[in-house]
Amino acid sequence: MKEMLKITLSLVAIFIAAGLIMGVTYKYTSPVRFIAEKKEKEEALKEMAPDATDPILPAGNWTSSHGKPYEYYLATSSGKPVAYISSTAGKGYSSYIAMLVSMDTDLKIKDVKILHHGETPGLGDQVEDRKLFLDQFKGKALSQIVLLKSETTENIQAISGATISSRAVTNGVKDAVQTLVDKYGSGVKMAAQGVAK
Amino acid sequence: MSNDVNYGTIIKNGIFGENPVFRLALSLCPAVAVTSGVKNGFLMGVAVFFVMIMVNGTVSLLRNYINPKVRIPSYMFIIATWVTVTDLVMAAFARDVYKQMGLYIMLIVAFAIVLSRAEMFASKNKLLPSIVDGAAMGMGFLLALVMLGVFREFLGKGSLWGYQILDSKPLLIMILPTGGFFAMGLMMGWLNWIDRKFFGGTGGGGGGH
Repeated sequence: MKEMLKITLSLVAIFIAAGLIMGVTYKYTSPVRFIAEKKEKEEALKEMAPDATDPILPAGNWTSSHGKPYEYYLATSSGKPVAYISSTAGKGYSSYIAMLVSMDTDLKIKDVKILHHGETPGLGDQVEDRKLFLDQFKGKALSQIVLLKSETTENIQAISGATISSRAVTNGVKDAVQTLVDKYGSGVKMAAQGVAK
Repeated sequence: MSNDVNYGTIIKNGIFGENPVFRLALSLCPAVAVTSGVKNGFLMGVAVFFVMIMVNGTVSLLRNYINPKVRIPSYMFIIATWVTVTDLVMAAFARDVYKQMGLYIMLIVAFAIVLSRAEMFASKNKLLPSIVDGAAMGMGFLLALVMLGVFREFLGKGSLWGYQILDSKPLLIMILPTGGFFAMGLMMGWLNWIDRKFFGGTGGGGGGH
């Protein structure tokens, strides 16, 4: 009985001391971390719409086809909208590929940026490493975002050896673009679909 | 353990004689997971280096207070504490590094090498030798990860530290987990060969832990 008490007390003492150390560390590091994360997010958004002079503000939430919540933002320059931005993700081979997509006011893609992913190094991670892949999205309208395995300038060409990751990026971008089109462009949406036919 | 401790021996032991990855064959899992590039291997090595010094130091200080019957849970908690502290500090003050390593840091809790040094060395030795042992073992782990990283990244991606050196990718398999085991086996064999040829060692190493 005495032995049991000693063991318990010895463990409890260590747990309390460890808890205190972790608590104190958290207290002093979390504000720094919070500020840094907020700044990073703002910088990432700023990069997506360099011509916006006003702060980029959240405009709403949407839920993707895989059931995760994302935010979209409105970038304005002296009160006039210059870009629509949305966070999104696509389900890749071994992870969700998180991205930001920005569109200009005539609903063409301005830029696509991969925030983080956990795809296979050397294969799937080429969607981020090969700049040419993401550059394909620039200037495309909703109806053009179709992944092909053959050479194309009209649509999106997949990277060989990274087909699943390419598809994940394409689907994620498409989800985001669909959302932004639904929210911001009733007239332009029709025009874009008309081109496809 | 005797009172006169030879620090030179401890350091040599940690880096070469009982190199955590190549000789003791401990923590192979993370060694394969993070060494697809030199940079990741190096950063992971630095984090482990820090954690091992702190854990060995703490365990050594508390060695007379920790009840032997619950020593393993106690060590695990000490390790978890220092890993959490490392994680929190890196998340706040080394954002760029944390973005690359964030996923892996928490895994250090389960690294066999950290627990094994706490149990085999720090729990039986005074503060200073324990800290030196932690540093030496951490350095050995760091060097092993960097060697594996150089080998795998160069052959698998044709680059080093993210900078492209070759135009081609000579052996793509090297950056996949399979290639990690190939690389590790080759390195182990190569080091054993060096040991036998030039230092008259038996070449078997510790092994089997």
